[in-house]
Amino acid sequence: MTEVEAYAGKCALITGSRRGVGRLIAEHLLKHGARVIGFARGAATYAHPRYDHFQVDIGDPASVLKGFSDLKKCVDTVHIVVNNAAVLTSQYSMIMPPASAQAMLNTNLLGPFLVSREASKLMRKNKWGRIINIGSMAASLEPIGDSMYAACKAGLATLSNVMAKELAPLNVTCNTLAVSAIKTDMLAQLPQDKIAQVIAGLPIPRFAEPDDILNVVDFLASERSSYITAQTIYLGGVN
Amino acid sequence: MLNKDAIQSIIFRALESINDERKLEDQILISAETSLFGADAVLDSLSLVSVIVDVESALSDASGREISLTDDRAMSQSVSPFSDVSTLTKYISLLIAESA
Repeated sequence: MTEVEAYAGKCALITGSRRGVGRLIAEHLLKHGARVIGFARGAATYAHPRYDHFQVDIGDPASVLKGFSDLKKCVDTVHIVVNNAAVLTSQYSMIMPPASAQAMLNTNLLGPFLVSREASKLMRKNKWGRIINIGSMAASLEPIGDSMYAACKAGLATLSNVMAKELAPLNVTCNTLAVSAIKTDMLAQLPQDKIAQVIAGLPIPRFAEPDDILNVVDFLASERSSYITAQTIYLGGVN
Repeated sequence: MLNKDAIQSIIFRALESINDERKLEDQILISAETSLFGADAVLDSLSLVSVIVDVESALSDASGREISLTDDRAMSQSVSPFSDVSTLTKYISLLIAESA
């Protein structure tokens, strides 16, 4: 199998696929032969013959059910899920708007649960699946201002580990890729001095590059990783 | 509207799917009395989940609307809807009649 064909015959669902890490992963999988379904609140930002986009608010159970209903009109199954969509408001807890905290809880934790819940019903039929949750170094570093965000990402790893146990008999793995800082729109919202301080404190003190992320996605999604589940892989030396 | 026989057939098909994955000596005897949940259950927990998912999916396909078998109401029934095939059939008939 050539590298170009690595994902041929596989259908991947990626949340938050319009931009940032989600778009990066979607374009990578498309380049290597996958059929890709994107879920995001906004309209598609790119087109490809093997890409279908649905406007879904993953934090809303009814929207997720509608999204999967639409998805099933396009494809029979889903082999790979990348739960990437996330929102971030960084603020001291005492002045964090409750609505912002709730939005993070809905999108960053409930959303991956709802998407994985529906996707695993499809994966069950194939007896094959890979769920990759995009976590964050914030779960380990617990930075000031990221109380709810870090808690959601820590919760995401736990969610992943429990689902890994539930889905193991179905040959579905569930892992977390905890990314470090990568230059995206989300990161641009944060104060640059705070980012520089975090980067300087990493064992490998640099931003993540796209290939750092794609390397781990390829590893977790591969056939050979059927014995790798309930794991969190941090980038940049965070643990 | 789905009648009792059609609903029971859907449940039977879900149980047959479980049998398809089992060895000959582990086959479930499928009937209206087949126990799904509780001390006499013939299904392990993951198999019961698979049956529920298959039945929900088939009911949605047949009726054109989403039907959830695992909401708070199902869990709070004095007799579990999942006790056996006949109790599940009755419960689904009730849900469909109410939503008609």
